[in-house]
Parts: sequence; structure tokens; C-alpha cells
Amino acid sequence: MNYHWDWGVFFKSTGIGHEIYLDWFITGLGWTVAVAMVAWVIALILGSVLGVMRTLPNKTLSGVAGGYVALFRNVPLLVQLFLWYFLVPDFLPESLQVWFKQDLKPATSAYISVVVCLGLFTAARVCEQVRTGIEALPKGQSNAAYAMGFTLPQVYRHVLLPQAFRIIIPPMTSEFLNVFKNSSVASLIGLMELLAQTKQTAEFSANLFEAFTLATVIYFVLNMSLMKLMGWVENRVRVPGLIGSTGK
Amino acid sequence: MTAMIQLSNVSKWYGDFQVLTDCTTQVAKGEVVVVCGPSGSGKSTLIKCVNALEPFQKGTILVDGVSVGDPKTDLPKLRSRVGMVFQHFELFPHLSITDNLTIAQMKVLGRSREEANDKGLKYLDRVGLKAHAAKFPGQLSGGQQQRVAIARALAMDPIAMLFDEPTSALDPEMINEVLDVMTGLAHEGMTMMCVTHEMGFARRVADRVIFMDRGHIVEDCAKEEFFGAPRGERAQQFLSKILQH
Ligand SMILES: Nc1ncnc2c1ncn2[C@@H]1O[C@H](COP(=O)(O)OP(=O)(O)OP(=O)(O)O)[C@@H](O)[C@H]1O
Ligand SMILES: [Mg+2]
Repeated sequence: MNYHWDWGVFFKSTGIGHEIYLDWFITGLGWTVAVAMVAWVIALILGSVLGVMRTLPNKTLSGVAGGYVALFRNVPLLVQLFLWYFLVPDFLPESLQVWFKQDLKPATSAYISVVVCLGLFTAARVCEQVRTGIEALPKGQSNAAYAMGFTLPQVYRHVLLPQAFRIIIPPMTSEFLNVFKNSSVASLIGLMELLAQTKQTAEFSANLFEAFTLATVIYFVLNMSLMKLMGWVENRVRVPGLIGSTGK
Repeated sequence: MTAMIQLSNVSKWYGDFQVLTDCTTQVAKGEVVVVCGPSGSGKSTLIKCVNALEPFQKGTILVDGVSVGDPKTDLPKLRSRVGMVFQHFELFPHLSITDNLTIAQMKVLGRSREEANDKGLKYLDRVGLKAHAAKFPGQLSGGQQQRVAIARALAMDPIAMLFDEPTSALDPEMINEVLDVMTGLAHEGMTMMCVTHEMGFARRVADRVIFMDRGHIVEDCAKEEFFGAPRGERAQQFLSKILQH
């Protein structure tokens, strides 16, 4: 293979303004983090509510949450994104449509679409984790809580959720990492996140391998840091003497 | 004597399967009633109906005059007045012993942290575990956990205590430490309904013994009468089996 490696490419001018290629990667990383973090907050809140709903005795509420999960888990993420970006805005009231399609910068409307899409998609997955965590607890725990006079919300708040969330930290870590990986779909509706910036660098500079190598390294370091962060969280909330917790 | 717990013609079904049939009995104030019977006879179900952990379809249960089955009854309030101790302790593993003792006092009874702490520690001391206040349930033995569970229930100042096989998940050497606490309670005049197979405890402490079989209360009599000559064949078989151990 007759490829001319040039790692200095990242410090070369892009030919657009005063930007060097590294700036593009930094901007891209910024968008990726901005998409993933906000989507994760949505997923965490909505997913927890749905997960609790699935375990309630009320058939209507658990049915609604079940339907949500079925819908959002069984339609491919990319299809969902295109629906949110191309189709859903057409159903908004007139004034909102104008705002979304004309007043907003293209990057902003793409950002809103992808955050909503990824947040709702991941919420379905978080919901299932939360449900599994709650169902893994012995029935006696809620019985004991009710027997002491707790109301249903108190049983969840003080007894079930604190235990369930501890149990599900490992699978939730993968969901958290998945949000970052999945955020790359944003490049398909023109949001210049990390993957899009990488492709653009590859095309502009013709240094395809360097660009994708750097992107790989950034994704890798990002995910490793997130894993470390979640490991720290897991350690922080570890309960002495509980199964699965070592030491102390 | 006024009945603290009064069950009248209580029947319960799981789908088509009838777990309880026409159960009638009462526990007077200060009385200790032991409930025994073969596995699956409905002992746990009966005792859980008393504090509405299980719904029942027919009959009435009154606890201190309050109807458990009445839809207008404030169940959390009723339950907060009745202590319950479970086979598997059911301490909250994510909370320290102190927090286990205080959380319901604060969240349900609205006591201040200081008051709840004082009360919790008083009962923890009473079951002989004051030194373990800062530990977590997973760091205690089964017998210790069960004593904490009893202290946790007592800290709510209950008008009656329900026990569902409190010693059957314990290693033999820990059974007595729990039975001792229960015996002390009984002598202090606590109203108690205990599902247990500890016949020694029943002989020493119980006022009455109820024997259940296939959802029916088939014996309900004073302890002397029960251990003297239980009337039914099933009860005799059960007793001879259990006393062999
Ligand atoms: N949720 C349920 N659904 C259907 N059947 C149940 C349920 N819970 C209990 N049962 C049945 O009801 C019957 C009585 O159960 P219960 O737990 O009250 O018995 P028990 O006398 O406490 O037995 P053990 O000594 O084994 O604890 C059993 O036949 C059991 O299989
Ligand atoms: Mg039982």
C-alpha cells in the first residue's frame, strides 16, 4: 500500500477561516458530548418513570409503559431519527413549524431532533433495566415496607429504588456508553458531531487513515473515562456486607 | 377481654384455589397465640390478611376495632400500628442498622430524627445489639438480623405484633436468642400472633394454639388443652411428627 502517512495533518489549516483540522475534531467532540449527555438525562428520568410504571399493580400504567418499550425498542434507531427529523415537525402547529424549519439554525434543529430521538430510544432500554432491577428484589422487601406503614410511593422511594439502582449500575453503564456511540447517527441529518467532522476531515485533507485513527482514539478514551466514572459511582454507593460488594 | 384482633368467617381465594375457608378466631389484648400447621395450610396467608398485606374476599377482620377489609380504611396507618416480623428478616440491606430502625418512625409517624434515634437505640439495646448500630444488615448474623427486625417493629410502638416463622430460617444455635426476645415481649404483655413450629416456645409462652390444615382453622384452644390431647387426627399426626425432632 502506497499511503503517505502524515500525522501533522491535524495542525494544518482547513482552508476555512483560521481553523485547523484539530479544531473540527474539538467541535465534533463538543457536539457528541452535548447530544449524549442531554439524551442521557432524558433517558434516565423518563426511563426510570417508565420502569417503575411497568412494576406497578395498576394494569393501565404498566401496559402503557410496556407499549412504549415495544414501540421504541423494535424500530431501528435510524428510522426513528428520520421520523423525528423529517416527519414529526410537519405535524407541529404552524408557528412551531416555521420556528423549527426556518428560524432555528440547521444545526440546532438537527440537534433537537437527535437529542429527543436518542433520549426516547434509550429511555425504553433504561426502563427495562430499572424494571429488571426492581423485579430482582425479594417480594419480602416491599412486604416489610408496607407492613411498617409506608405508602406505595414511599416503598419505591426508600426501599425498592435505592436497591434496584445499585443492582443495575453495570448494565446502565453499557447503556450510558451506548448513548455516546449511538450519537453518531446525528451525522446522517447533518449535525457536525465527531463522526461527521472525521468524515469531513478525511475528504478535505485526503488523510483518511489519520482522521479515522484519531476519531477511534477519541471515542476509546471517552468511553474508558465514562467507564471509570461509573466504576467510581458504583464504589461510592457500595453497601458494606451486601452480596456483590467486596472489601470492607 | 376485648379482642385486639378479631377474624370472622374469613375466606380467601387465589383464582379458583381457596386458601382460607371460613376462618374465625381472635387475639385478646395481651394474649399470645401460636399458629401452626403443615406447610401450605395457609398460616402465612392468614397472618398477612391481618395487616392487609393480602386481600381477602369474604368475612371481616377487625384490628383494634378498625375493619381491615373496609375500602375506606387508611391501610398504611393501620399497618403502622401493627408490627410484623418475617421469616427472612427483611431488613433493608442498603440502610445502616440505625437507619433501618428510624426510617419508618420518621417517614410514617413523622417523628424527628432525634426522637426516632433515641427510640430505635433503646430497642436495639433491648435486643442486646447496641454496639452494632452503625453496621449494615449484611454484616450481622441471621439471629442478630432477626433481633434488629424485632427492634425495628417495636420502635413503632405497635399495639400488636405478627410473627411469620421468625426462627425457621435460622441456624439452630441462633434460634434461642430470637425466642428469648419474643418471650420477654410476651411477658411484658404484648399482643402477639406467631406462626411458628417451635413447640417449646408455644408450651412455655402461648396462651392459645391454633392449628390450621388446608385453609381451615381446625383447632383453636388453650395451650394446655392443645398439648394435652389435641382432638383432631391431623393435629395429632402433625404434633407427633414435629415433636420427634
Ligand atoms: N400468590 C399466590 N398465588 C397462588 N397461590 C398461592 C400464593 N401464595 C400462596 N399460595 C398458596 O396458598 C397456600 C397457602 O400458602 P401459605 O404460604 O399461606 O402457607 P403456609 O401455611 O404459610 O406454608 P409454609 O409453612 O410453607 O410457610 C399454599 O398452597 C400456596 O401454594
Ligand atoms: Mg408460611
